[in-house]
Amino acid sequence: MKKTPEGIDRRLFFNKLASQVVGGAAGTLLIKTKILAAEPDTAVKKYGMVIDTNRCIACHGCTIACTSENNVPDGYYRSWVKIMNKGSYPNVSAHFLPRLCNNCEDAPCLNLCPTGATYRTHEDGVVHVDRQICVGCRICVAACPYGSRFVNPITHTADKCDFCYHRITRGLQPACVDACTGRARIFGDLSDPESDVSRYLENHSTQRLRADLDTRPKVHYVNADEYIMGPDYSRLLARRSS
Amino acid sequence: MTENVQYIYSIQHGVALGYLIAWYLWLISLAEGTHIVAHLSWLYYRTEDYRPLEKVGTFQPFIILALVPLFLVVDLGHPERFYTMFYNWHWTSPVAYGVYIITLCMISYAIHSYYLFRPELIHRARQEGRLEGVYRLTVFNQVETGDIREIRKRQERRERLWAGVSLLFSFFGLIYLGILLSSFKGRVMWHSSVMVFIFFSFGACSGSAFLILLTHLKNALIHTPPKALAEQQRYLAEFGIILKYALVAQAGVFFVYFVLLQYTGIGGRLASQVFFTGPRAFQFWFFQVAIGLILPFVLMLYKKMRENVVVSCIAAVAAMVGTLFGCVNIFIGGQLLPMTSFRWEHLEPEPVKMTFGIITMVLMFVLFLVTYKILPYENIEVQEGMSS
Repeated sequence: MKKTPEGIDRRLFFNKLASQVVGGAAGTLLIKTKILAAEPDTAVKKYGMVIDTNRCIACHGCTIACTSENNVPDGYYRSWVKIMNKGSYPNVSAHFLPRLCNNCEDAPCLNLCPTGATYRTHEDGVVHVDRQICVGCRICVAACPYGSRFVNPITHTADKCDFCYHRITRGLQPACVDACTGRARIFGDLSDPESDVSRYLENHSTQRLRADLDTRPKVHYVNADEYIMGPDYSRLLARRSS
Repeated sequence: MTENVQYIYSIQHGVALGYLIAWYLWLISLAEGTHIVAHLSWLYYRTEDYRPLEKVGTFQPFIILALVPLFLVVDLGHPERFYTMFYNWHWTSPVAYGVYIITLCMISYAIHSYYLFRPELIHRARQEGRLEGVYRLTVFNQVETGDIREIRKRQERRERLWAGVSLLFSFFGLIYLGILLSSFKGRVMWHSSVMVFIFFSFGACSGSAFLILLTHLKNALIHTPPKALAEQQRYLAEFGIILKYALVAQAGVFFVYFVLLQYTGIGGRLASQVFFTGPRAFQFWFFQVAIGLILPFVLMLYKKMRENVVVSCIAAVAAMVGTLFGCVNIFIGGQLLPMTSFRWEHLEPEPVKMTFGIITMVLMFVLFLVTYKILPYENIEVQEGMSS
């Protein structure tokens, strides 16, 4: 590098810097393109769940089973059931919405995790948290549009439902599915057309939470009431205006 | 929705990221705004009289950026793993870029400050005195020959190079803050491209205000020759004009932001309600609008008021309070909107973390004062001229 009496030549410095940045960026892009191109080939399975809300009786068996199976601390939930009543007497209906992590195909928590502690297994598309890497920054907790994440007060790392990965990799069903009294939860491989979950999806009209965000959740709901699907902003707006 | 709906059971998720991170965002916008205002003004004035203000606008932001990562570290679930963020790098996360941007920004400020102070430090190192050893250490014992003007001339290219690099990283830093918040696509209050402009307006307001305040503080604490003082007062009065227009820009950006929220569906309307009548209404109307926008704008409206030290200091503090509350309102307010529920999310008080944040900010202020006493902010040529 040419040096002037005052120091490094600025033009030369910027030329070298620019060439290094372009080179580095091109290299990263090539590696990333290779990784992205390789992703669909390795994704053999796509685990997902269908929840038929007609069958849910809000017994909270799934919540208890999940807490017990995964040692979820008190006051925190990987799986829970939202309950709502609609209408006025005598025309009243009760609605239940079992909730869990949607293991989205385009998960905001995964995209925003600064360390890559949140990752997706290529074999089955399940989103996990690596507790050894997670720094506990809570970015993912704020990023999840479904409120499915929390910071575990024991491990101080992010925690969420992973479809009971330790069970499904041994051929078992997730704990919530096994415990479901009404058999409202159907779990399986969405990419296998012969699986129970794929057949159920084929035969029923389903909804997904916050479809507008294009996160492509892998938990589908059958016959869920629109009022219970998302946050109720209208109530807060009405309260303020009244 | 007009149906009669009654929620029997739901889970509240709370506010995940608290005041410490909101203060972190504010302090970064403050530091980078200060440097941008100070350096762009140097490019405009380009006089030796202005150099003390450029020193203030480069070294004090360095102190902030050197200490502000503590806010982030303390807020982590695993603070001992903070350094892993440098090598466990995830390319889709804005925070992963931010870790590098803020670090490089701090380093560039440090090197720029070094070149700004170097001629005076060499001059002091050549003189016998109590702190002679310290000054020798700060210039790595490379005590060059020649007077201050000659030393500055010899290092001018390096100084300007690092000034340019630090300015570039300052802009990157403000862009990073905006992109950071707008990347949360589930958060309707943050998921807006206006976020970048909001942080630019915060940076311009708090930056010009901070520069006014710090320079007045410097002049109160250390002896400044009358001629230099008069020049600096003139510059500070002109910074008052920058502050005035930055406040107008901030009001304009917020107006656009609220208009856009009205077109973002029911979530957007509720997000604006958080400010107008919701849980952040008092903080918005009183601290952000009345104290932070209207008061400093009125105080900076007329030339005589801008030239008055007390009035300009009050305006500067008010503008900084306004941007602080602006930052907190957006950051905390954005998390008060429920994700799955029908009630505002609640914010758990974090007294230990907040105390830590306040102590760190006090420490920053003490460091400002200490550096005023040790480092040669004033041009020594002016002092020599006065003594002769």
